[in-house]
Amino acid sequence: MISYILPIRIGKVDIDLTGIVVIVGNFGSGKTEISINLAVNRKKAGMDVRVADLDLVNPYFRTREAAASLAKLGIEVVLPPKEYLQADLPILTPAVAGMIRRPCQLTLIDVGGDDMGATVLASLADAFKDRKYSMIQVVNPLRPFTEDIKGCLKIRDEIETASKMTITGLVGNANLIDETTGKDILSGYDFLIHLSTESGLPLEFITAPYELIPEINPEHFSCPVLPIKRQLVPPWKKPSDLNKNRTEPSASRWTP
Amino acid sequence: MKGNEAIGEAAIRAGCLNYFAYPITPQSEVAEYLSKRMPEAGGVFLQGESEVAVSYMIFGAAAAGARVFTTSSSPGISLMSEGISYIAGAQCPAVFVNIMRGGPGLGGILPSQADYLQATKGIGHGDFRLLVMAPASVQEAVEMVMEAFPLAEKYRNPVMILGDGLIGQMMEPVEFPENFSVEPSNKDEWATNGMDTRKSDQRNLVKSLFLDPEMLNSHNNVLREKYERMKREEIRFENYNTDSDYNVLLVSYGTMSRVCRTAIDQLKSEGFEVGMIRPLTLYPFPEKAVEDAASKESCTSVASIEMSMGQMVEDVERSVRGKKPVQWFGKCGGEVPTPEEVIEFIKSL
Repeated sequence: MISYILPIRIGKVDIDLTGIVVIVGNFGSGKTEISINLAVNRKKAGMDVRVADLDLVNPYFRTREAAASLAKLGIEVVLPPKEYLQADLPILTPAVAGMIRRPCQLTLIDVGGDDMGATVLASLADAFKDRKYSMIQVVNPLRPFTEDIKGCLKIRDEIETASKMTITGLVGNANLIDETTGKDILSGYDFLIHLSTESGLPLEFITAPYELIPEINPEHFSCPVLPIKRQLVPPWKKPSDLNKNRTEPSASRWTP
Repeated sequence: MKGNEAIGEAAIRAGCLNYFAYPITPQSEVAEYLSKRMPEAGGVFLQGESEVAVSYMIFGAAAAGARVFTTSSSPGISLMSEGISYIAGAQCPAVFVNIMRGGPGLGGILPSQADYLQATKGIGHGDFRLLVMAPASVQEAVEMVMEAFPLAEKYRNPVMILGDGLIGQMMEPVEFPENFSVEPSNKDEWATNGMDTRKSDQRNLVKSLFLDPEMLNSHNNVLREKYERMKREEIRFENYNTDSDYNVLLVSYGTMSRVCRTAIDQLKSEGFEVGMIRPLTLYPFPEKAVEDAASKESCTSVASIEMSMGQMVEDVERSVRGKKPVQWFGKCGGEVPTPEEVIEFIKSL
């Protein structure tokens, strides 16, 4: 296997997101993996980064699972009180409004899926008032309901209505988890370019699994590529080490 | 797809256009998904006012010969158990999916396998059994849900898919089987589906009430024969590393078995052989497979590895028939044992 040093920047340009960045999208589009990996990437680029886990609708696989790894890298994660961490209750800690009022260089807000997950944003309207923010919609065209342009535009409308906020950009996250191929990344990119034209929203960046980066020619893309080191894995797998920058032989994979 | 979504889609692809449910973590995404997909597919999703109500909505639809299913999680399944007993007593086919969470009572919302005894031995009152299948991956959940409908019709009996919370919540790529028969086959013989559409002149009556003791006894014998037939025809299991000269045999099901696989692979690389039987059907339980695997000369002990406090171990002990010592290792309440903990336990044997 090729060993290489992973640069902070992959692609023609650097990821251009600062201030408050709200991450939305449909269920299972990959918002949480993106917010964790984006937080680490920007931290390593020298920015101050804070993340809020605002997922009030998902019971498992939330940012809170990676809170310890992020804390080790000096990234603050704003979570509900410890005794409610494993509850399926819509608990919104007041600290979130505080971090919106006093954003750091990059304040990431990881929101739950669909319009239902985004409803919580409307309750933060006071904190968001007169404040500049980016709200990015994560799209995995290999997921149900976002396989076509119509589905993506529908969920955009629903999220905007529920959150009373405006989506400002797109993120392409085409993947089939461990079965993702370079071809999926390319066809996902083409889909997002099409969606960007149809929606009038800029494509902020696309993602690719860390292991696939050596196979990808960044010159092909007009946007940055964020490498994803999977953190939200089932108990029989180990999350990819966020600190290591070299590729290693992949762990043995479970085949059904 | 997320497991819960895939379960919903699998039911539609199996020709089930009737879904009644009540939301509960960690399976609410099935209802969320089907609230969008059922109308598209021309089907019905109706949320009941409780799980008790849902179980009787299932009974009504099943009695009318419709393919019908529901999904819930542990406390919700307990509420449905009355209706399940009526459905089994009246010999109606229906599919129940239990995405288990920690118990007892309200317990917690994290993955668990603590409803093993409930599903295989103690759901509802009376002499009846469910055919219980346990998937270990999202793909397998899809296949089992799709197979569950024809199996429920074959036996005119409820079938349960028993998955822990991880099966519902994790995301894995899935492929849906093609060319699947979606038409219920034998319903004219028993369903109250209206004389106009039925080919025979026979009047069908669906009931679980048999006041005459002789009739009730013979009804229970009919049911018993069905469960014996399940034992002859439906037992399914998977072997892992049982070609080796293993010292320890594990029995584990569902996602717990995937943790065991990782542990077995790790131990193999250290030169220590461990075999595993993974039951795919929990009722009927693969007794003979476990007995045969435990009887291997190299095998010195058997262990049931569960996300429960010693439930399946009772079936493992019964199957091994005292030929080898049987141990239990498990955790409950949402703490899934790690491969390292399973390895430590195996080394302690």
